[in-house]
Amino acid sequence: MPRQFAYYPGCVAEFSSKELNATTKALAPLLDIELLPMPQATCCGAGDVAQAKPNLYLTLNVRILSEAESMGVDILTICNVCTLNLRRANKMVKEDPRVLEAVNEELVKAGARPYQGTIEVTHLLWFLATEEGLSLLEARGPKGLNGLKVAPYYGCQLLRPSSVMGFEDPDRPQSLERLIMALGGEVSDYEGKSRCCGFPIILAREEVALKESHVALSGARDAGAQVMVTPCPLCHLAMDAYQRKTEQVMGEEYAMPVLHLPQLIGLALGLPTKTMEFKRHLVPVDEVLSIVGA
Amino acid sequence: MPATTFRIFRYQPDSGETESYHQDFQLEHGEKTTLLDAILRIQNEQDGTVAVRYSCRSAICGSCACKANGKTVLACMTQVEHVKTDSGQEIVQVDPIGNFTPIKDLVVDMTPFWEKFKAVKPFLIPDGPAPEKERLVPKAAMEKIAKESKCILCAACYSECNSLAADPEFVGPAAFAWGYRFAADERDGQRKNRAKLYSGEHGVWDCTRCMFCNERCPKGVDPRDAIEKLGSIAFQEKVTSDKGARHAKAFLISLRTGGKLNEILIAPYTDPIGAPFNAPLALRMAQKGKLPKSPLTHRVKDRDQVKKLIKNVKETI
Repeated sequence: MPRQFAYYPGCVAEFSSKELNATTKALAPLLDIELLPMPQATCCGAGDVAQAKPNLYLTLNVRILSEAESMGVDILTICNVCTLNLRRANKMVKEDPRVLEAVNEELVKAGARPYQGTIEVTHLLWFLATEEGLSLLEARGPKGLNGLKVAPYYGCQLLRPSSVMGFEDPDRPQSLERLIMALGGEVSDYEGKSRCCGFPIILAREEVALKESHVALSGARDAGAQVMVTPCPLCHLAMDAYQRKTEQVMGEEYAMPVLHLPQLIGLALGLPTKTMEFKRHLVPVDEVLSIVGA
Repeated sequence: MPATTFRIFRYQPDSGETESYHQDFQLEHGEKTTLLDAILRIQNEQDGTVAVRYSCRSAICGSCACKANGKTVLACMTQVEHVKTDSGQEIVQVDPIGNFTPIKDLVVDMTPFWEKFKAVKPFLIPDGPAPEKERLVPKAAMEKIAKESKCILCAACYSECNSLAADPEFVGPAAFAWGYRFAADERDGQRKNRAKLYSGEHGVWDCTRCMFCNERCPKGVDPRDAIEKLGSIAFQEKVTSDKGARHAKAFLISLRTGGKLNEILIAPYTDPIGAPFNAPLALRMAQKGKLPKSPLTHRVKDRDQVKKLIKNVKETI
């Protein structure tokens, strides 16, 4: 029987970055996972709602947790920001019964289900970078990545704050590296892999944000990477959609294709390229596909 | 007794050394020797010119922040052996904190830090005439600012701040932790003025949420959380004209109208003047199908619950 999760793709994967959602859904049966939809789930607020209305942020996120609880399964995410927001809300109510009570009062008043505090939130990367996950990949007999040089790009919010995230050492993360190697790729290591992509402020402070993404893009390029992979669709937008703009502002060329994590796995497992919708990327991935023989 | 190689950042412009370099020192030390004690022993026993700023040796004065194998720490509250196990390295490389200009070895120029600290007006500014008796504050009111009150101004949070690295004028985490500490103090009378002061260019909406400050703070201040709370104060005081605040408003509108992020709205709403200049990028994204054709698909089930929550939930900062 497949492992069931309440699937919370997040807004960006559902709309702007549909290729991430499509690939994750196509990958799930290969990994013996069943992704159950969450029809009531709203946006997590992305840190913006937390900065404008923290109590509202908490209540909305607990409402999402509660929907999963009613389904009797843990939540699986594919976005760093959603993961942090949901986990942080979960931690806040689990650690303080008074906070949970106050939030539940609001939920009940609004006609929503109160939360008991029984749900965990995990990211696809965390699920796969365990022995259980790696053995699932192994069982599919990956055709591999033909030594593709891959720059892991974590971004921030899947690592920090570690008091909320806690899957791995935020200063020496290895989950992406483990996956890349298990799939037959070569890791291009560089310092900027856990620096910020700048996306949270890219619309309000574009120049600052692009200087931030430059650190990772130039680092990956200088490490000889043929492609960058990220577990977060917001990082993907910063690195892929904005890459040409960053090149213009910084006066440098990166020519760095950027894959969503499930796309890298999909390539190694032989998912049809059409399913993974690479045509939606702004930086072409043709060379990557030809290296792995897709 | 463990012996360690310390690879210390050296820079002595006053002695005519214009280039920085790293110098290795060997030292035998105890299992629990702190990094600061090790540096001071090197200074006393091997090279008196090694410069380091320190005072209390007990994590109170905030003078001795530095980088140990790349990670910002207070040297006095970090054991050498812990640095080695934590980083997985046998050599301990000691560097000055990041995002500051070194003056001499591990000592950096803190002037910009103090300028930013001063700029947030880190003191109580009560309204009206002074009271006859002292102002009594209930315990619960102080608990709201207890975390931020623990800041020792060591600048560990500035050392790896990604916004600061990209924008040296960003006011930054510690200064805003202090800003919140006073903005949320019920004896202070400048809540709205502080919201305005902190919401401008290089202000609270410039924080990129890299979370390094929360990760590195040796005192558990969680400066990013303080920045967040200052955003909330700005919203309560209706100081929301900054592009960052408008960005947050676009999320609130999205939630109210459909429940999920309306990606068509967010760019023009955040920056109505600047967005048209990004038309070429928007066009390229649209050609790739990255811009949704209609926000009507963004509707979640039981939206009335969401609307009620938005209406009912009160902010308490």
